[in-house]
Amino acid sequence: MSESLLRVARLDAGYGEMPVLRGVNVDIRAAEIVALVGGNGAGKTTLLRAISRLIPSQGELRFDGRSLGGTTADQVFEMGLVQVPEGRQLFDHMSVEENLQMGAYARRDKTAIEADLDRVYGIFPALAGRRRQLAGSMSGGEQQMCAMARALMARPRLLMVDEMSLGLAPVIVDSLLDTMARIRSEGVTVLLVEQDVHAALSVADRGYVMQIGEIVREGTAKELESDPDVRRAYLGEIATASSPGRAARSRATGRRMED
Amino acid sequence: MKRAGAAQRLPEPPEGEPGARGAATRAARRTALALAVAALAALPWIGNTVLVQFGISVLLLATLAQGWNIIGGYTGYPSFGNSVFYGLGAYGVAIAMVQYELPFWVGMLLGLGLGVAFAGLLGLAVLRLKGHHFAICTLGLALVMTAIVSNLEIAGGNIGLVLPLLRSEVLFYELALGLAVLATLTVLWLSRSRFGLGLIAIRENEEGAAVMGVNTTFYKVIAFMLSAAFTALAGGIYAYHITYIDPVGVFDVVLNVKMIIMAVFGGPGSVLGPVVGALILSATAEVLAARLTGAASLFFGIVIVVAVVFMPRGIAHLVRHIGPAGWRYFIDNVRTHRL
Repeated sequence: MSESLLRVARLDAGYGEMPVLRGVNVDIRAAEIVALVGGNGAGKTTLLRAISRLIPSQGELRFDGRSLGGTTADQVFEMGLVQVPEGRQLFDHMSVEENLQMGAYARRDKTAIEADLDRVYGIFPALAGRRRQLAGSMSGGEQQMCAMARALMARPRLLMVDEMSLGLAPVIVDSLLDTMARIRSEGVTVLLVEQDVHAALSVADRGYVMQIGEIVREGTAKELESDPDVRRAYLGEIATASSPGRAARSRATGRRMED
Repeated sequence: MKRAGAAQRLPEPPEGEPGARGAATRAARRTALALAVAALAALPWIGNTVLVQFGISVLLLATLAQGWNIIGGYTGYPSFGNSVFYGLGAYGVAIAMVQYELPFWVGMLLGLGLGVAFAGLLGLAVLRLKGHHFAICTLGLALVMTAIVSNLEIAGGNIGLVLPLLRSEVLFYELALGLAVLATLTVLWLSRSRFGLGLIAIRENEEGAAVMGVNTTFYKVIAFMLSAAFTALAGGIYAYHITYIDPVGVFDVVLNVKMIIMAVFGGPGSVLGPVVGALILSATAEVLAARLTGAASLFFGIVIVVAVVFMPRGIAHLVRHIGPAGWRYFIDNVRTHRL
């Protein structure tokens, strides 16, 4: 695991005096799709904000072997840690193309930006026909595409997508998830932060389950999907008999999941 | 401030006119502007004293509106603290010339330094507030400044300072013109530079700008300092021109309201809007004052209200969009803003 792209270890973070994250450990390897799931208020977005250096944190934060201690939000951004924020945060009064140009704001390689525009329109063909349309006037799904396309224009190495599925129809979520796989195939690592556990695990390689500021489960997507506690808490399934060994093992961390 | 918020739109790019025609239009526009500036510069030799006096006042107001345009129109932060920068600029000149008998230009530098430094410190503290909170906080500060300066011995307390008299309206006029041109060129640069694009992004969606790698705190503070620089210099010219300043006069919040009205009337976030706004509103006020004396401000108020109802996005927007729609442009404005 020495070649992890992002390493978060024993991370504490919060807002002012209020601690939110306690001892969070997360490892993401290059070209993985990792899901970070959990309910409302679990601290997922706080973790993203800490990784993006938008809020201060204690503990280890390492990206591509480099410590992020002492870096600022825009430096982290230029290293290739790019967010697709919750609620998209598009520039509503700007056109789709202007939004994408803003994604390349920190870049200066003009010709490469032009090439990337074509590449990104290739990934999101629905946007190509709407270059001149104001971003705020599009549907929710298209806006989400625009937000992801804008982030891709920044040439991310790690794309952190926060609550992509929020307020979108399942069929649109599915097509966006397909796009995730496409994005990964182009060498971009993806951290998918989701309340929609099922959707996230369906496309991820591995996942972390977060609850009240702590990581309570981690494993491959398959393991998590079949984990009885996860199924009970997030996938809306009534508990089936699980092996006693497993139940005992999960008791320590699983308790919180039961409420 | 709600109107101002609604009025803040992107400076719309000239719609699809690359190539020869676009370049020709741009060259023609540039020539026209250069001729206009040359004509303005020649005005003292053509016009009479009254006109030159009026010109000084309009040019200083245009600079103030343009200064406000940088922080309010481009960055989207409705500042009521700009009158403080104006007052600091005025007192910089007054203190240097009266208390230390230094030349005017040293006073200008002092005022500039005071205004910009103050904007930097203030910006770090209050630019994290948004919208109304930012407006109220800067407004409160403007009121506090009057009280502080009234109690400073070096600033002449609440009596104020009397500056040496310089009878050269032409010099003041050309100085004011130079400053207004410089402010407008700066805003022109903003409208096409990466820095300006960053400010527009902050105005449109600050969080979105932050996640796209714009160092929002730095950008906002620089914009505030830039705004303060022009405002303070205008205050300095005003002080030397008027030869007498006191705290209530130069830290006047009403002046700040004027800056906002002129910038918003002309078109916030546009390059020439604030200048045109300053000219039209000053001329209107002047004509009304001459014709109606007592009821002038009432009619001036009516002009503002009518303007806000029928063209809430300012003259810059009107000029660009009235073409095909004609008079329906006004009706549509009334309809979309539910007035």
